[in-house]
Amino acid sequence: MARQLKITVDYNVCVGNAMCETFAENTFGLNEDRQSYVKDAAGDPEETIIEAAENCPVTAITVEDAETGEILFP
Amino acid sequence: MVSTINDNPFSLEAMYQPYEFFARLREWEPVHYNEEYEVWMVTDWEHLVWVTRHPEVFSSSVFARDVRPPNPPIDEDDMEIYNYIKKWQVSRFIQHDQRRYNTEISGPDHVDMRRVMHGYFTPKSMEMWRPLVQSAIDELLDVVQEKGRMDVMADLATPLPLLVIARMLGIPDSDRPIMRRLAKDLRHLNRTGPDRMGPLSESVQNLQDYLGPLVDERIDNPRDDLISVVAEGARRGIFDRDMVVNNVMLLLSAGHETTINLICNGTLAFTQHPDQWATLKSDPEGKTVRATEEALRYDSPVKSIQRIAMEDIDLNGQQIRKNDRVRWFISGANRDPKVFDRADDFDVERYPNMHVAFGSGIHHCLGATLARLEGQEIFRNLANRFESLELEVPTETLEYDQLIGLRALESLPVKVTNA
Repeated sequence: MARQLKITVDYNVCVGNAMCETFAENTFGLNEDRQSYVKDAAGDPEETIIEAAENCPVTAITVEDAETGEILFP
Repeated sequence: MVSTINDNPFSLEAMYQPYEFFARLREWEPVHYNEEYEVWMVTDWEHLVWVTRHPEVFSSSVFARDVRPPNPPIDEDDMEIYNYIKKWQVSRFIQHDQRRYNTEISGPDHVDMRRVMHGYFTPKSMEMWRPLVQSAIDELLDVVQEKGRMDVMADLATPLPLLVIARMLGIPDSDRPIMRRLAKDLRHLNRTGPDRMGPLSESVQNLQDYLGPLVDERIDNPRDDLISVVAEGARRGIFDRDMVVNNVMLLLSAGHETTINLICNGTLAFTQHPDQWATLKSDPEGKTVRATEEALRYDSPVKSIQRIAMEDIDLNGQQIRKNDRVRWFISGANRDPKVFDRADDFDVERYPNMHVAFGSGIHHCLGATLARLEGQEIFRNLANRFESLELEVPTETLEYDQLIGLRALESLPVKVTNA
């Protein structure tokens, strides 16, 4: 079974470019301010979620192993 | 309400005292209708962000959707050229809507087009260019150090971004001066003169003629360069050949015109704020990232961008009508005291710094990562090399190009003292 991820969005940085949602649409959505939010941390495969985080133009997304706290991105 | 204050974005005041000009508008009426140019002016942060985050209401597809004659007006004889310019504009990916927000789109949309290039510009992939930027700056600053002075515009701000974007695209080094001249004439788009369409279309035509063969070559035989990345969009049926040419042209011009302003305006700010220069110098490596963000906020390279309303909407109590033109002013929003403490202070340690120098939302600047990288390396290297930067002329003699869209100095003579 895939490991659980902890995904956080930095609202001091997120500009609502929505690329995360384009890359991992089952994981990320847009809130009422049109900034990114995590709707389901297990919505997509891990590599898809990492790819989405990498494609954030302002590196607003952090992905960790929920159990160990290991930072997977950035 | 009759305008009792100057609201002319082409006025000398707007060019030379922009922050007084925009502050007055922002305080008086942050969403304001300019009767002369028939355009809504958005000058505060909150409404700018709302406009940019609601592309279904305020479309970027300005040239395709705008059926009214251009304003500022152009010579009547130039209407045919204007239609050519429109066609050129419409083929640029930034002028496209996203299907998610504008459901009538068939075929490729903004996000399909952006994704052709987006991966190239992620923060991670941009890092591979840092060594080239560093070595190019070293070469340029060696000369400056020897001379003890520079025109920041001619000796640093112009050559660096042009070299970097030309190398990325795969354009031969020897062609850079002609690229610069042709790209600079694209600025006529941002001017008021009724005769502006002639020189604008001439430079578009010349750039198309120059870039066309480079693109054709890469469509057939891709190389390891950015033109090939865009050309891949043609192989995948997202762009046609002319769209590849026009989007390469966009990357070329956007890739250096704006960064030139970041380097000049930021360096000017440091000459005017010796305390902030000292702060940067205390730890150039550690402080250059936030300092660059503050340079982007304090005297933003891009002043304004236009949208077109897709529906009637109330914004801050103003009735905006479908098809109205709406222009948002970065230079107003980035000094908004509701968002930034001591908004008119240049504070290189400012954090958080939610400036909108690159816009916001789905059209947030594709090249932001590149501009940041170049700005960070410039300010870090200046601080490492030089004890002081001193403006050689009185501030009030500095000249700006009279554009509505860009905050562009003509030149910036600075004396340097070696560390």
